[in-house]
Amino acid sequence: MVAARSALHEGTKPANVFTRADIHGDTVLDCDVVIVGSGAGGAPMAAELAEAGFDVIVLEEGRYYQTRDFTADTSAMVRQLYRDGGATMALGNPPIMFQEGRAVGGSTVINGGMSWRTPDSILDGWRERDGLDISPASMEPYFERVERRIHVAPMDESAIGVDNQLLKKGADAKGWNIIGNLRNQVHCAGSNRCAFGCPTGAKQSALVSYIPRALHFGARVYADVGVERITRNGKRATGVMGHVKNADGSRGFHIAVRSKLVVAACGAIHTPALLARSGIRSRSGLLGGNLSLHPNAKVVAIFDERVTGWQGAHQAFQVREFAEQGLGCFAAINMPPSILAMSFPHRGAQLGQLMQHYDHMVLAGLLCEDTTTGRVRTINGHPQAFYQLSPHDAANMLRGLSLLSELLFAAGARRILLPFHNAPELQSPDDARRLLDNPVKPSNWEVVTVHMMGTAKMGADRAGSVTDDTGFVHDVDRLLVADASLFPTPVRVNPMETIMALSTRAAGRVIENRRRYIA
Amino acid sequence: MTAYEFSSTSRAVLRSLVPVICPPAAHGLADVIVDHMALTLGASPAFLRTGIGAGLAAYDLGAVARYGRRARALTGAKAEAYFAAWEHGITPVQQQLAKGINQLMSLSCYEQPLMMEACGYRPAGWIDEVSRKRLAVYGDEARAQAAAIITPDPLPPPPSGSDAVRRPSQSTAETLENKSHGRR
Repeated sequence: MVAARSALHEGTKPANVFTRADIHGDTVLDCDVVIVGSGAGGAPMAAELAEAGFDVIVLEEGRYYQTRDFTADTSAMVRQLYRDGGATMALGNPPIMFQEGRAVGGSTVINGGMSWRTPDSILDGWRERDGLDISPASMEPYFERVERRIHVAPMDESAIGVDNQLLKKGADAKGWNIIGNLRNQVHCAGSNRCAFGCPTGAKQSALVSYIPRALHFGARVYADVGVERITRNGKRATGVMGHVKNADGSRGFHIAVRSKLVVAACGAIHTPALLARSGIRSRSGLLGGNLSLHPNAKVVAIFDERVTGWQGAHQAFQVREFAEQGLGCFAAINMPPSILAMSFPHRGAQLGQLMQHYDHMVLAGLLCEDTTTGRVRTINGHPQAFYQLSPHDAANMLRGLSLLSELLFAAGARRILLPFHNAPELQSPDDARRLLDNPVKPSNWEVVTVHMMGTAKMGADRAGSVTDDTGFVHDVDRLLVADASLFPTPVRVNPMETIMALSTRAAGRVIENRRRYIA
Repeated sequence: MTAYEFSSTSRAVLRSLVPVICPPAAHGLADVIVDHMALTLGASPAFLRTGIGAGLAAYDLGAVARYGRRARALTGAKAEAYFAAWEHGITPVQQQLAKGINQLMSLSCYEQPLMMEACGYRPAGWIDEVSRKRLAVYGDEARAQAAAIITPDPLPPPPSGSDAVRRPSQSTAETLENKSHGRR
């Protein structure tokens, strides 16, 4: 059985991938460019620079997996592929659970593969408000290049499951704008396991696209390596110091990498912490600040008909009707019974009765373009996110849930469960509309996210940004940030393609200045 | 990931909560559910493990004042009422512990093959079926993409006149160089 799906993307570990088993003592490495993180930011940077002839080392805290390692065992996948087993949280009222990937390929291994260009209005805003020398036209070649590399394509109709068909039915009934999702996939088979490592190899995560490309052009990837700090000589970044992570999580051998350029691509939670641990400050005061999250909330609709949502592609459509009103999209997202059960307040016999309807459930969520920001603080070397959902965004999400519930009733839902503690089920569209009559206490919200952004904001003004508009950290020489930390604002859409395109753009500028970085 | 084992107190309390939190069909799975919770917590942050351990100890002892016995020894309606009292407790700590335990145990409960089967959830067979179908129908395209991944395609220089030729990285470098000269 496994052999049937492991014919592609499989084989022995490439010679230039190193894991803890390959490191037998304290190690010092030399290269042109060391990249910390192997996800949507780090992997494109590694591939582009390696192809241009740079000697590249990628350090990744997580393990190196191959497609054959991704199984139907949900909790094992969560434990292996998610940082802290998925139990990371931004503190506030309500606390917001967030998820980050921790494996070679980063969060691209566990995301849904939604691949959207940064909306023109967002790029225009970055140019006008933040002084970035950026525009939809100037980003076009980078988006095009990324889309080619990760094979961005519409879904095959045959892979679209009933849950997504119902979402479309409801949107069509309401006359709302719904679009087919663009995802980085080659004929996604609809196994609906995107969030647990694609077991078919169809999703073109960095693990099966940019990382193999980087390796092909000579980059070295070190998995199981945690980076403690960036080393510097005066204002100049000179490399990184870290350690091998043993299987039990303890620290193993030391690793030092000496390089001519350092790229921090650890994501919007860990990049500011790495910089802070390295003694880097921003005169803007914004390092770790400006955290935006795209807060998500979900409802569960129960239908008479069998949905079997786990058969079919993840998020085949997005409802964009309210995108310009701060509600980026509505989408249907199936989750395994265990993850769904843990999200319900029910227990005992009540939980059992509810879960009997599992195959009749549609899990649908919304993404809010947040208008407030939080902060990542580095406490004893570890990042901790703090974020307070604003009353405005909470009200907007409540409106979104009301609209989403109306859509699901229009599709034939019989009842709808809400993401609030002690909330009654909705039984009708009128119930959905009445949601707006009763504001929900912040502490009663269940909010999650997977889009963390903005904590090393780029900008033209040093007083108002952490990096310049390529991602070079102000006042530190040869230190580049290449991840969602750079975003001045939330992007309203799934951020992967924006991260990849900005990383490619930055790689182009490094290549253009090759003599400066390799000299 | 850290291998994690519950203390005897935590384990006893959790076993006693299986009939309170899990559906009746899972009551015979108490040991494997608690084992699975330990696996899950092993991947979680240390502070969470510490907090849950301390919380379970407090939960266990807190029952003595009300029932004259520890929580681990409560059964039936008393066990149910005591857990509900924490769910709706006057302190956020009580509420959060009850919520956290409910979530963790529900997760572990529905990770058991018996419970997944009861939901009609059979992903392994589905994955194999669609994987085979995909390779049979689209194998050539999948192989073409795998080949394209390693086909040379160097990043062209930033187009003249675009924002990219400004090379803003130089501004930082120049500032640093100027400062350096100034110090001399």
